[in-house]
Parts: sequence; C-alpha cells; structure tokens
Amino acid sequence: MFILHGYCRAVTCLNHWLAVAASLLVFVMVGAIAYEVVARYFFDAPTVWALELSTLLLGPYFMLAGPHLLHTAGHVNVDILHSKLPARLAGWVDAVIYPLIAVICVIVIDQSIPVAMNALESRETSFSAWNPPVWPVKVLIPVAFLLLLLQALAETWGAIQRGLKSGPDAGTEALS
Amino acid sequence: MSSGLVLSLMFASLLLLLLSGMPLAFVLITLAVVFTVVLWGSDALVLSVLQTYDVMTSDVLLAIPLYVLMASVLQRSGIIDALYRAMELWFRRLPGGLAVGTVAICTVMAAMTGIVGAAVAAMGILALPSMLRRGYDEKLALGTICAGGTLGILIPPSIITIVYAATAQVSVGKMFAAGIVPGMVLAGLYMSYIVIRAMLNPDLAPRAASDEVSLMERLASLKSLILPTLIVFSVLGSIYTGIATPTEAAAVGVLGALVSAALQGTCTPANLGAAAMDTLRVTTMIMWITIGAKIFVSIFTGTGGADSLLSFIDNLEVNRWLVLLAMMSILVFLGLFLDEIGIILLCVPVFMPIIHAFGFDPIWFGVLFLITAQMAYITPPFGYTLFYIKGVLPEGIGMGTVYRAILPFLGLQISALVLFLLFPDLVTWLPDQLSQRLTH
Amino acid sequence: QENPEVSWRMQALWDAGTTPYEFEQKFVARVAELTDGKFTIRLFGGGQLVPSSGAFEAVRGGAFELMKTFDGYEAGAIPAFAFTSTVPFGFPESDQYEAWFYERGGLDMAREAYAQAGLFYIAPTVYGQEPIHATFPIHSLDDIKGKKGRFVGLSSAVMGAFGVSTTPLPTAEVYQALEKGVIDFADRGDLTANLEAGLDEVANYVIVPGFHQPTTATSYVANQRAYDRLPDAYKAALETAAREISVSLRQHIVAQDAVALEAFEERGVNVIHLEPEVITEGRREAVDAWRQAAGDNELAKRVLQSQVAFMQELGLLD
Ligand code: NA
Ligand code: NA
Repeated sequence: MFILHGYCRAVTCLNHWLAVAASLLVFVMVGAIAYEVVARYFFDAPTVWALELSTLLLGPYFMLAGPHLLHTAGHVNVDILHSKLPARLAGWVDAVIYPLIAVICVIVIDQSIPVAMNALESRETSFSAWNPPVWPVKVLIPVAFLLLLLQALAETWGAIQRGLKSGPDAGTEALS
Repeated sequence: MSSGLVLSLMFASLLLLLLSGMPLAFVLITLAVVFTVVLWGSDALVLSVLQTYDVMTSDVLLAIPLYVLMASVLQRSGIIDALYRAMELWFRRLPGGLAVGTVAICTVMAAMTGIVGAAVAAMGILALPSMLRRGYDEKLALGTICAGGTLGILIPPSIITIVYAATAQVSVGKMFAAGIVPGMVLAGLYMSYIVIRAMLNPDLAPRAASDEVSLMERLASLKSLILPTLIVFSVLGSIYTGIATPTEAAAVGVLGALVSAALQGTCTPANLGAAAMDTLRVTTMIMWITIGAKIFVSIFTGTGGADSLLSFIDNLEVNRWLVLLAMMSILVFLGLFLDEIGIILLCVPVFMPIIHAFGFDPIWFGVLFLITAQMAYITPPFGYTLFYIKGVLPEGIGMGTVYRAILPFLGLQISALVLFLLFPDLVTWLPDQLSQRLTH
Repeated sequence: QENPEVSWRMQALWDAGTTPYEFEQKFVARVAELTDGKFTIRLFGGGQLVPSSGAFEAVRGGAFELMKTFDGYEAGAIPAFAFTSTVPFGFPESDQYEAWFYERGGLDMAREAYAQAGLFYIAPTVYGQEPIHATFPIHSLDDIKGKKGRFVGLSSAVMGAFGVSTTPLPTAEVYQALEKGVIDFADRGDLTANLEAGLDEVANYVIVPGFHQPTTATSYVANQRAYDRLPDAYKAALETAAREISVSLRQHIVAQDAVALEAFEERGVNVIHLEPEVITEGRREAVDAWRQAAGDNELAKRVLQSQVAFMQELGLLD
C-alpha cells in the first residue's frame, strides 16, 4: 500500500513538473515567430529557423502535458451518465477506463519504438535549409506515452480506492 | 465484413464508449486500435504513431496555442472584462446586447483565424466568464460561443476552405470570397436570434441597471475599447497588409496582449504563469483530441467504413436535387463523428465528378459543404467544438448543458443551409465579381 | 501452377480526384489486367490513410503494402533521396533523368537506398518541370537575389546559395502569402494544379522551366516482405505497369502544361520562358550545394557522382 501510494505521488509529481516546464515553451514559440515577422518585414531578412523551431516545439509542448491532464481530468469527456453515478460506482467505472488507457499506451509504445529507433539511428533531420534534427520529436512519442502509461496506472489505483471507499466524501479525494 | 456493418459498429461503439465517461481523445484511439486489429491487421497499428507525429509537427495547428495564449493574457489582465463593462453600458437598450457583442467579436476572430479550436477556446476564455458574471443564461452564452466560434470556417482565412479548394481543384481566392456573404448572413442570424430570445425572455440576458449611468461615465468606459481595438488592428492589419501569415499574426496578437497587460499593470509573473498554464491545458486537450480524430479517420477510411455510403451516391440515378440532398445528408451524417479534413479527403473526390456531371457550381457546393462542416462541429454527440468549450467551462456545467445549448443554433445553421441552397446567387455573387475584376 | 489471389492496399501521393491520382487508378487497373484480375490493389488518395510524408514509415511497418511517394520526404534520413526525387538545376529533360535511372544505374542505387529500410523500390515515374510563380519578372538569376521565396527541401538550400531568403511555408499558405506579399515568389505544384488553385490571381508572372525543379521523379515503393511473397509474374506486372504510367503521365503533363500556360496568359499572367543559358549557368553554381547536401554519406555521394558524370556526358556540365 505504502509503495503504491508513493508511486502515485511520484508519478503525479513528475508529470506535473513536466507540464509546468512545457507550459513555458509557448513563450519561445511566440518569441521566435515575432522575431521572424520583424526580421522579414522590417529587415527583409527572414530566418530559416524561426517557423521550423516553433513547429518542432509544438509536439513536446502538448505531448509532455498529456499525462498531467489525465490527472487533472483535463481531457474532456461526456459526463452525462458518469456525473450521475454514485461516487463508488463511478470509481469502479474509472477503474476500468484507466487500465484501458494504459493498454492503449502499451500498444502505441510498442508501435512507436521502431519508428523512433529508425529516426535515431539515421540521426534524421528535416532536410530544410536550416536542417535541424527531427529524431528527438519521434523519440518523444514513446517517452510521452510511457509517462501517460505511468499516470494511467496511478489513476487506476486512485479509482480503485474511490471504489472501495464508503462514506459521503468518497470520490473527492485526489492525489496531489 | 460489409462496409455498412463496419459503419454501424463504429458508430455504436463510439457512442457507448463516450457515454462511459472515457475522455474523447482516448475513446477515438481505443476504437481505432480495436478496429485496426480486427478488420485490418496489427501491422496497420503503426498508423497511430504516424498520425501522432503528423499532429506533433503540424505548422497549421501551431496557431492554436498562440491564439489561446492571446486570449488568456487578455482575460487575466482584466482587459476583456473592461470591454464587456463598456458593452454593457452602451448596449443596455439592446436585448441580449452582450451576446450580440460576443457574436461580433467572434466574427472579428473569424477574420483572424480559420482554426476552429483556436477560435472557440479563445472565445470561451474571453467571453464566457464575462457573460456568466453578468447573469446571462449559461445555455445562451454557450450556444453563442460555440456557434460563433465556427464562423471562422466560412469567413477567410480558413484552413478547411483551403483544403476543400485544393481537393475540389477550385481557386482558393474564389472560395474565400464565396464564404464572406454566407458568413455574415450566419452571424446576422445568430444576432437576430439572440435579440428575439432576449426580448421574449429578459431573464436570459439581464441588462445593466439603467438610467443612472451618466453620459460621462459611458464615454469614460470607451477607454477600455482602446487596447482591444489596437490588438485587433495589429492582428488583422498584419494579415491584410502582408506583414505576417495568419499563424504569425497570432504571435503578433500575443505581443499586443502582453503590451496591453503591461500598460494595465497586470503583466505580472503570476498572471503570465497562470495564462501559460491555461494555454497549455486547452491546447493539450485540443491536440490530443486531434490525434485521436486523425487516427480514427484513417482507420475508418482504410477499413472502408464509408464505402457503401459513397458507392450508393455514385450509383444514384435520380433527380439532381435529390442527389444533392443525399450528398448533404451524407456529409452531415459523417460529420457526426469524423473530423472535417478527413471528410473532405474522403467525400470531395467522390462528390466532385457528380457535382460536375449535374452542372452544379463547385464553389457554391463548397459553401454548402462548409456550412455542413460548421454544423458537424456543433452537432451532438461528437461536435468537436462542444468538447473544446467543455474544456474551458467553469465547475458545475456538464456536457448535457452544452448539448442543449447548441440546438437552436444548429437550427439556425440548417436554415442558412436551406437559404443558400435556394438562392445560390448569395454565394456566387462575390466570387463572380472577383473574377470579373481580375479578367478586366 | 496456379497463381494465388493477392490483394494489396496502396496510398497514392496525390489527393483522390486529381489528375495524377487518375493515373494511379490506371496503374492498379493495369496490374490487375496483367495478372488476370488476380492481383488487386485497393487505392487510397494521398493523405487518406496517413499524410503522404508518413507513407514511408507506414509501408515499412506493413500498414499497407505499396505507396507512391516522393523520395525527398525522407532525404533527412537517407540523403541519397535528395537526388532520386528532384534536383534543383538538375537534368533539364525528363528523358535524360529517366535514362539515368535505366541506363546509368540509377534504378539500382535507388533500390539500394530503399533496401536499407526494408523497402523495395519498384520504379520511378519521371516527368518534367514545375513552374515558379512570382510577383516580379525573372529573366536571370540576378533577379532573384535578395527576394523572399517559398521553397522546401534541397531547393531551399540551393535558392539560399543564389541569395534568396527562403521560408518554408506550408503549401496551404502559399496562395495567401503571395497575395499579401509575405513572399515574392514560390514553388507549389505543377502548372495545372496551380492554375486550378488560382495562383494567377495572386502572382503576375509564371517562370518556366522552374529551375528549382526542372525534372521530377516520384516512385512506386513496396514493403519488401510483401513483395518477396509475390509470384514473379506479379512482380513483373508491377514493373511493367509502373513503366507504362511513367510514360503516359509524363506525356499527359506535357500536353496539359501547354493548355495551362495558355490559360495563364489568357488570364493576363506574363509567362516568362527562361533562356537555356540561364539554367546552364545556374547548374554550374548549384553543384556545390548538391555536394553539400550529399555530405559524407557514401551512397549519396555515389548517386551524385553518377549523375554529375552523366550530365558531363550529355554536355550539361563541363
Ligand atoms: Na477564418
Ligand atoms: Na460532429
């Protein structure tokens, strides 16, 4: 029990901080694009890197935040039925949904590792005028889904606890 | 397995899984994975990775975090609430004035971006709290934003329009021109509806306490228009004078919002951090849904989900108007659960030869298509807009409310569709003017 | 022995409904015809299963067995592909480029490049130039110095060498960027596609031949495992059909280009035919950029060496 609880806290905490770090990337995107606009319009000197850099950051930006959103229920759902369920039953429904998400993660990880390895082995670049490496973006796919898998397992444990718990305030407890 | 069976199975299981309360993004991926393994072969699972990668590196979707950040900064800096206070003072004789003003802001937003997710999320962040705080009916407020947020599909610039033009092989410029009048008509319909509803039931849209507002006070409130207007001008101005592409203009808008916040003295690290987290949350929600939708569409196509529908249309030998009606129905039906770009890639190549054979104008048909796309974005249960807006809802408002909120606006869209079906000139007049100007 | 029924999926490079897609329909029909209807290929439009640039990984993973692709998409992973797809200032005649494939070992080198990824290169489809659309007249390479252009891949590097500020805008934004003056000139698609997209409304000059893409090769590529399982007769059918399509699509484009150019002129666009010397001069300068793109990749260098040698043979380079 203690180990499980510690695992949940650690994973949730890790994903929280990754999301906070990722949230700052948007300022880099804004800065790069604004620089591009100024350089091109006022100095007639467009950069080869600004748009591509912003595009390359987009993936890490939202992929790394995906697991955190699973914890904060930020991935939207249809709550018409779910919100009317008694707390314990809702807990058991969640205890089915989260493992299903975990299975999906395992499948995507399994599928994405070869793609990531191919990119890594060839040190794949974008082949543009700037020609930055793009393999890190492909490598990020299994990494992000691994983080999501870890979070889904943590949420499963939380859901089971809500399912087992009795009393009026069951289901409101969150791990954070 | 027959394509009709695949279609019904997918539709039914999508409904079922959604009702379980599983997040939409994972509902779509789960179904796609199951259908891949059962109907295609596990080798095709790699498509899920490739679609994910495509969304991760999409230069088009880059506009989403930028517009959402612009909205978050403006909201957190109090600028938007000041704007609504001014609207409240000036529009207090107009029933539903704030909602009408919101449609107007949506129309301006539509002229900045064609990415529905960006517009709806931004408007949800900007307009919803301000309207709710003033006692507006939550359904009226939600419906206004969802419907208004989809105006960007018709009003240029618009990515969906560009994809349609490329697939149907018609001029992007003419398609853009063709969307302007219908877009304005739709905005007008929304506004009229709001005014009429508010007149019939003033509780839906409470007005500011009247009389005691002096002219001086009203004039003073105009000050709050300055900053938002400057931002609108910097974004639209940079697009229409060629300083920036629509995506880049979003970054210009963020800078404008930051400067405005600084002038208000609200550009604090705490506000910025909070705005950044808001932006991350909304963008992440939209992007993961996009990933799910793209994977789902490719599996749906690869397993022949729509084959029977499309071949049915291909072999239909009846009156041209019936064929048109059948095509529109298919678009609306597929729009229930597929994303718009997917529908374009799937249907337009099948429909175009039929359109040409019957002598319909592909530009006019394109506008009808874009209106059905707007409908698809807000039709329950899978209207993507409804999910985007739910992502920015305050506590206590559920999906059921959103679903009910949207119905009257869906009705308005349907009447617009019928209107343009009956009076094609409303659509074709402007692009015809354009081509005449170009050839003389 | 009776040949088995085989059914494959294939994704085309272009959207369903476009002219090149129609030729892929002819391709699969021809394959079926050559195999007594036993080898059927179910065709999907570009982007329907996976974005065209992702088809490589999809076929490699076995999601579908066959694709029409543009090798250049993968040049960042396999540099040789920069030269088997399109070379800025490269072979001016499609016959010359196709001859490199069939007479100077190009086909074998392309197969070698794909083999390392578990893919089998069946054959190229070779056709001519794609135009440049500009808001200003271009008569010599001096005219583009200091201008803003939209180019992607190897051509963006080569254009950079000629003093162009290149920006890699998405295809979908080309129209608007030209209209608003965000860029001064751009490459996009072939003449007919660009005409249909209405580029005449936003750019007053069409420059042919487009030196950034004087000739183009797209390719039929199959999953190696799936290919190995085919009876020899089916393999031959694929190659035969591919070679037929290469000729017929190329000739179709030649005829269609003339129609499109006339339509552009009718709509008031100035069509500028560049003097051959301009291209020849550019080619001499472009060689350095080619060598840079090949880097120290052994296969890429070999491919480039063989193309340069053939160009010298043909008198295109000194
Ligand atoms: Na728009
Ligand atoms: Na829908």
